[in-house]
Amino acid sequence: MPSLPELGIYFSLLLFIVGLFGVMFRKNIIFMMLSVEIMLNAANLAFISASALTNTIDGQVVMFFVMAVAACEAGIGLALIISLYRAKSSIEIDDLRMLRG
Amino acid sequence: MAIQISFLIMGILAVFLSGMMITRKWPVTAAMLLIIIMMLLAGMYGVLGAHFSAVAQIIVYAGAIMVVFVFVIMLLNLPPEELRYGRITINEIILIGIGFLGALFLGTKVGLGYLVSGLNSTTLINARPPYYPAEMNENVKNVSTLMFTDYLWAFEIVSFLILAAIVGSIVIAKKAKVNNAKSS
Repeated sequence: MPSLPELGIYFSLLLFIVGLFGVMFRKNIIFMMLSVEIMLNAANLAFISASALTNTIDGQVVMFFVMAVAACEAGIGLALIISLYRAKSSIEIDDLRMLRG
Repeated sequence: MAIQISFLIMGILAVFLSGMMITRKWPVTAAMLLIIIMMLLAGMYGVLGAHFSAVAQIIVYAGAIMVVFVFVIMLLNLPPEELRYGRITINEIILIGIGFLGALFLGTKVGLGYLVSGLNSTTLINARPPYYPAEMNENVKNVSTLMFTDYLWAFEIVSFLILAAIVGSIVIAKKAKVNNAKSS
Protein backbone atom coordinates (compact mmCIF):
# COMPACT_ATOMS: atom_id res chain seq x y z
CA MET A 1 0.00 0.00 0.00
CA PRO A 2 1.45 3.39 -0.95
CA SER A 3 1.90 6.06 1.66
CA LEU A 4 -0.73 8.70 2.34
CA PRO A 5 0.80 11.55 0.27
CA GLU A 6 1.16 9.27 -2.76
CA LEU A 7 -2.47 8.24 -2.37
CA GLY A 8 -3.38 11.92 -2.24
CA ILE A 9 -1.60 12.53 -5.54
CA TYR A 10 -3.46 9.62 -7.14
CA PHE A 11 -6.80 10.94 -5.85
CA SER A 12 -5.95 14.37 -7.21
CA LEU A 13 -5.38 12.78 -10.63
CA LEU A 14 -8.80 11.11 -10.48
CA LEU A 15 -10.56 14.30 -9.40
CA PHE A 16 -8.84 16.28 -12.15
CA ILE A 17 -9.96 13.77 -14.78
CA VAL A 18 -13.57 13.91 -13.57
CA GLY A 19 -13.55 17.71 -13.62
CA LEU A 20 -12.01 17.74 -17.09
CA PHE A 21 -14.75 15.48 -18.43
CA GLY A 22 -17.34 17.70 -16.79
CA VAL A 23 -15.95 20.71 -18.63
CA MET A 24 -15.75 18.80 -21.89
CA PHE A 25 -19.17 17.15 -21.97
CA ARG A 26 -21.64 19.44 -20.23
CA LYS A 27 -23.45 22.12 -22.22
CA ASN A 28 -24.48 24.16 -19.18
CA ILE A 29 -22.16 27.00 -18.23
CA ILE A 30 -22.88 26.66 -14.50
CA PHE A 31 -21.89 22.99 -14.57
CA MET A 32 -18.76 23.87 -16.51
CA MET A 33 -17.74 26.36 -13.84
CA LEU A 34 -18.45 23.88 -11.05
CA SER A 35 -16.24 21.37 -12.87
CA VAL A 36 -13.49 23.97 -13.09
CA GLU A 37 -13.77 24.31 -9.31
CA ILE A 38 -13.28 20.53 -9.00
CA MET A 39 -10.16 20.79 -11.14
CA LEU A 40 -8.75 23.60 -8.99
CA ASN A 41 -9.45 21.54 -5.86
CA ALA A 42 -7.59 18.63 -7.41
CA ALA A 43 -4.62 20.91 -7.98
CA ASN A 44 -4.80 22.01 -4.35
CA LEU A 45 -4.85 18.39 -3.20
CA ALA A 46 -1.77 17.70 -5.33
CA PHE A 47 0.01 20.67 -3.75
CA ILE A 48 -0.81 19.54 -0.21
CA SER A 49 0.22 15.95 -1.00
CA ALA A 50 3.52 17.10 -2.48
CA SER A 51 4.04 19.25 0.59
CA ALA A 52 3.57 16.26 2.86
CA LEU A 53 5.65 14.05 0.58
CA THR A 54 8.70 16.31 0.61
CA ASN A 55 8.26 17.36 4.24
CA THR A 56 8.23 21.04 3.26
CA ILE A 57 5.48 23.65 3.53
CA ASP A 58 5.84 25.43 0.18
CA GLY A 59 2.88 23.54 -1.22
CA GLN A 60 0.60 24.80 1.52
CA VAL A 61 1.56 28.41 0.77
CA VAL A 62 0.97 27.95 -2.95
CA MET A 63 -2.41 26.37 -2.11
CA PHE A 64 -3.54 29.70 -0.67
CA PHE A 65 -2.55 31.49 -3.85
CA VAL A 66 -4.48 28.95 -5.91
CA MET A 67 -7.46 29.55 -3.63
CA ALA A 68 -7.27 33.32 -4.24
CA VAL A 69 -7.06 32.79 -7.99
CA ALA A 70 -10.07 30.46 -7.78
CA ALA A 71 -12.07 33.12 -5.96
CA CYS A 72 -11.20 35.68 -8.66
CA GLU A 73 -12.14 33.18 -11.36
CA ALA A 74 -15.49 32.43 -9.72
CA GLY A 75 -16.33 36.14 -9.42
CA ILE A 76 -15.43 36.98 -13.02
CA GLY A 77 -17.08 33.85 -14.40
CA LEU A 78 -20.33 34.39 -12.53
CA ALA A 79 -20.41 38.03 -13.72
CA LEU A 80 -19.98 36.73 -17.26
CA ILE A 81 -22.82 34.24 -16.74
CA ILE A 82 -25.14 37.01 -15.54
CA SER A 83 -24.17 39.24 -18.45
CA LEU A 84 -24.64 36.45 -21.01
CA TYR A 85 -27.99 35.41 -19.55
CA ARG A 86 -29.15 39.01 -19.68
CA ALA A 87 -28.12 39.28 -23.32
CA LYS A 88 -29.21 35.89 -24.68
CA SER A 89 -31.73 34.54 -22.09
CA SER A 90 -29.91 31.22 -22.15
CA ILE A 91 -26.95 29.59 -20.45
CA GLU A 92 -26.40 26.76 -22.92
CA ILE A 93 -23.16 27.13 -24.81
CA ASP A 94 -24.78 25.99 -28.05
CA ASP A 95 -26.91 29.13 -27.96
CA LEU A 96 -23.86 31.29 -27.41
CA ARG A 97 -21.87 30.41 -30.49
CA MET A 98 -22.26 33.88 -32.00
CA LEU A 99 -19.88 36.04 -30.05
CA ARG A 100 -21.11 39.38 -31.36
CA GLY A 101 -23.32 41.25 -28.97
CA MET B 1 -4.13 2.08 10.01
CA ALA B 2 -7.44 3.70 10.89
CA ILE B 3 -6.13 7.00 9.55
CA GLN B 4 -5.20 5.37 6.25
CA ILE B 5 -8.60 3.71 5.94
CA SER B 6 -10.39 6.99 6.65
CA PHE B 7 -8.18 8.73 4.08
CA LEU B 8 -9.07 6.08 1.49
CA ILE B 9 -12.78 6.37 2.27
CA MET B 10 -12.70 10.16 1.98
CA GLY B 11 -10.83 10.05 -1.32
CA ILE B 12 -13.02 7.39 -2.92
CA LEU B 13 -16.14 9.20 -1.73
CA ALA B 14 -14.87 12.51 -3.16
CA VAL B 15 -14.19 10.96 -6.57
CA PHE B 16 -17.56 9.18 -6.58
CA LEU B 17 -19.49 12.31 -5.59
CA SER B 18 -17.69 14.39 -8.21
CA GLY B 19 -18.70 11.81 -10.80
CA MET B 20 -22.26 12.15 -9.56
CA MET B 21 -21.98 15.95 -9.63
CA ILE B 22 -21.19 16.27 -13.31
CA THR B 23 -24.18 14.11 -14.26
CA ARG B 24 -26.91 15.89 -12.28
CA LYS B 25 -29.75 17.81 -13.88
CA TRP B 26 -30.31 20.59 -11.35
CA PRO B 27 -27.51 23.07 -10.61
CA VAL B 28 -28.38 23.44 -6.92
CA THR B 29 -27.95 19.69 -6.38
CA ALA B 30 -24.55 19.88 -8.02
CA ALA B 31 -23.55 22.83 -5.84
CA MET B 32 -24.54 20.96 -2.66
CA LEU B 33 -22.57 17.91 -3.81
CA LEU B 34 -19.57 20.16 -4.44
CA ILE B 35 -19.80 21.50 -0.89
CA ILE B 36 -19.66 17.90 0.41
CA ILE B 37 -16.65 17.22 -1.85
CA MET B 38 -14.86 20.26 -0.43
CA MET B 39 -15.55 19.10 3.13
CA LEU B 40 -14.07 15.69 2.29
CA LEU B 41 -11.00 17.36 0.75
CA ALA B 42 -10.61 19.44 3.89
CA GLY B 43 -10.56 16.20 5.88
CA MET B 44 -7.86 14.86 3.57
CA TYR B 45 -5.78 18.01 4.10
CA GLY B 46 -6.14 17.56 7.85
CA VAL B 47 -4.95 13.97 7.65
CA LEU B 48 -1.95 15.08 5.57
CA GLY B 49 -0.93 17.52 8.30
CA ALA B 50 -2.05 20.78 6.68
CA HIS B 51 -4.42 21.94 9.39
CA PHE B 52 -4.50 25.61 8.42
CA SER B 53 -5.23 24.69 4.81
CA ALA B 54 -8.09 22.45 5.94
CA VAL B 55 -9.73 25.26 7.91
CA ALA B 56 -9.22 27.74 5.06
CA GLN B 57 -10.72 25.23 2.63
CA ILE B 58 -13.90 25.03 4.68
CA ILE B 59 -14.17 28.77 5.33
CA VAL B 60 -13.15 30.15 1.93
CA TYR B 61 -14.26 27.45 -0.50
CA ALA B 62 -17.28 25.85 1.08
CA GLY B 63 -18.27 29.02 2.90
CA ALA B 64 -17.63 31.91 0.52
CA ILE B 65 -17.21 30.72 -3.05
CA MET B 66 -20.04 28.20 -2.97
CA VAL B 67 -22.39 30.74 -1.41
CA VAL B 68 -21.68 33.01 -4.40
CA PHE B 69 -22.39 30.10 -6.74
CA VAL B 70 -25.71 29.25 -5.10
CA PHE B 71 -26.59 32.95 -5.04
CA VAL B 72 -26.05 33.28 -8.79
CA ILE B 73 -27.93 30.05 -9.51
CA MET B 74 -30.94 31.33 -7.59
CA LEU B 75 -30.58 34.83 -9.07
CA LEU B 76 -30.83 33.46 -12.60
CA ASN B 77 -33.92 31.44 -11.57
CA LEU B 78 -33.70 29.15 -14.57
CA PRO B 79 -36.93 27.67 -15.89
CA PRO B 80 -36.91 23.86 -16.22
CA GLU B 81 -36.99 23.99 -20.01
CA GLU B 82 -33.70 25.84 -19.87
CA LEU B 83 -32.17 22.62 -18.50
CA ARG B 84 -33.81 20.52 -21.17
CA TYR B 85 -30.66 19.20 -22.75
CA GLY B 86 -27.01 18.96 -21.96
CA ARG B 87 -27.32 15.87 -19.78
CA ILE B 88 -24.60 13.35 -20.37
CA THR B 89 -25.93 10.52 -22.54
CA ILE B 90 -25.09 6.84 -22.20
CA ASN B 91 -22.69 6.93 -25.17
CA GLU B 92 -20.79 9.75 -23.58
CA ILE B 93 -20.67 7.85 -20.29
CA ILE B 94 -19.03 4.91 -22.10
CA LEU B 95 -16.62 7.32 -23.78
CA ILE B 96 -15.85 8.97 -20.45
CA GLY B 97 -15.15 5.55 -18.90
CA ILE B 98 -12.72 4.59 -21.65
CA GLY B 99 -10.96 7.94 -21.45
CA PHE B 100 -10.90 7.74 -17.65
CA LEU B 101 -9.17 4.37 -17.69
CA GLY B 102 -6.72 5.48 -20.39
CA ALA B 103 -5.83 8.68 -18.59
CA LEU B 104 -5.52 6.80 -15.30
CA PHE B 105 -3.17 4.24 -16.89
CA LEU B 106 -1.03 6.86 -18.58
CA GLY B 107 -1.00 9.13 -15.56
CA THR B 108 -0.03 6.48 -13.03
CA LYS B 109 2.42 4.60 -15.26
CA VAL B 110 4.12 7.50 -16.98
CA GLY B 111 3.57 10.79 -15.24
CA LEU B 112 3.07 10.23 -11.55
CA GLY B 113 5.83 7.66 -11.27
CA TYR B 114 8.38 10.26 -12.27
CA LEU B 115 6.69 12.86 -10.10
CA VAL B 116 6.65 10.74 -6.95
CA SER B 117 10.17 9.42 -7.45
CA GLY B 118 11.40 12.93 -8.17
CA LEU B 119 9.72 14.32 -5.09
CA ASN B 120 11.15 11.54 -2.96
CA SER B 121 14.70 12.50 -3.87
CA THR B 122 16.78 14.01 -1.16
CA THR B 123 17.62 17.29 -2.90
CA LEU B 124 14.13 18.67 -2.37
CA ILE B 125 13.86 17.50 1.20
CA ASN B 126 16.86 19.53 2.31
CA ALA B 127 15.76 22.65 0.47
CA ARG B 128 13.83 24.13 3.41
CA PRO B 129 13.58 23.55 7.12
CA PRO B 130 11.17 20.68 7.64
CA TYR B 131 7.83 20.95 9.31
CA TYR B 132 6.45 18.41 11.68
CA PRO B 133 2.86 17.29 11.21
CA ALA B 134 2.68 15.90 14.71
CA GLU B 135 3.02 19.34 16.25
CA MET B 136 -0.35 20.83 15.52
CA ASN B 137 0.41 24.28 16.89
CA GLU B 138 3.31 24.90 14.56
CA ASN B 139 1.52 24.65 11.23
CA VAL B 140 0.00 28.14 11.16
CA LYS B 141 3.27 29.70 12.25
CA ASN B 142 5.30 27.87 9.61
CA VAL B 143 2.90 28.65 6.78
CA SER B 144 2.59 32.33 7.66
CA THR B 145 6.33 32.73 8.16
CA LEU B 146 7.05 31.31 4.74
CA MET B 147 4.23 33.28 3.12
CA PHE B 148 5.47 36.62 4.42
CA THR B 149 9.17 36.03 3.77
CA ASP B 150 9.89 34.06 0.62
CA TYR B 151 6.50 34.47 -1.01
CA LEU B 152 5.95 38.13 -0.17
CA TRP B 153 6.00 39.33 -3.76
CA ALA B 154 3.55 36.64 -4.84
CA PHE B 155 1.30 37.70 -1.95
CA GLU B 156 1.31 41.33 -3.08
CA ILE B 157 0.68 40.38 -6.71
CA VAL B 158 -2.29 38.23 -5.63
CA SER B 159 -3.73 41.23 -3.79
CA PHE B 160 -3.56 43.28 -7.00
CA LEU B 161 -5.16 40.36 -8.86
CA ILE B 162 -8.09 40.36 -6.45
CA LEU B 163 -8.48 44.13 -6.87
CA ALA B 164 -8.54 43.73 -10.65
CA ALA B 165 -11.09 40.93 -10.34
CA ILE B 166 -13.39 43.12 -8.22
CA VAL B 167 -13.27 46.00 -10.71
CA GLY B 168 -13.61 43.65 -13.68
CA SER B 169 -16.64 41.82 -12.32
CA ILE B 170 -18.41 45.13 -11.65
CA VAL B 171 -17.67 46.34 -15.18
CA ILE B 172 -18.79 43.06 -16.76
CA ALA B 173 -22.01 42.59 -14.82
CA LYS B 174 -23.40 46.11 -14.99
CA LYS B 175 -26.06 46.97 -17.52
CA ALA B 176 -24.67 48.25 -20.81
CA LYS B 177 -27.17 50.99 -21.60
CA VAL B 178 -25.12 52.61 -24.36
CA ASN B 179 -24.83 49.43 -26.42
CA ASN B 180 -28.51 48.64 -26.10
CA ALA B 181 -29.50 52.12 -27.27
CA LYS B 182 -27.13 51.83 -30.22
CA SER B 183 -28.33 48.40 -31.32
CA SER B 184 -32.03 49.19 -31.00
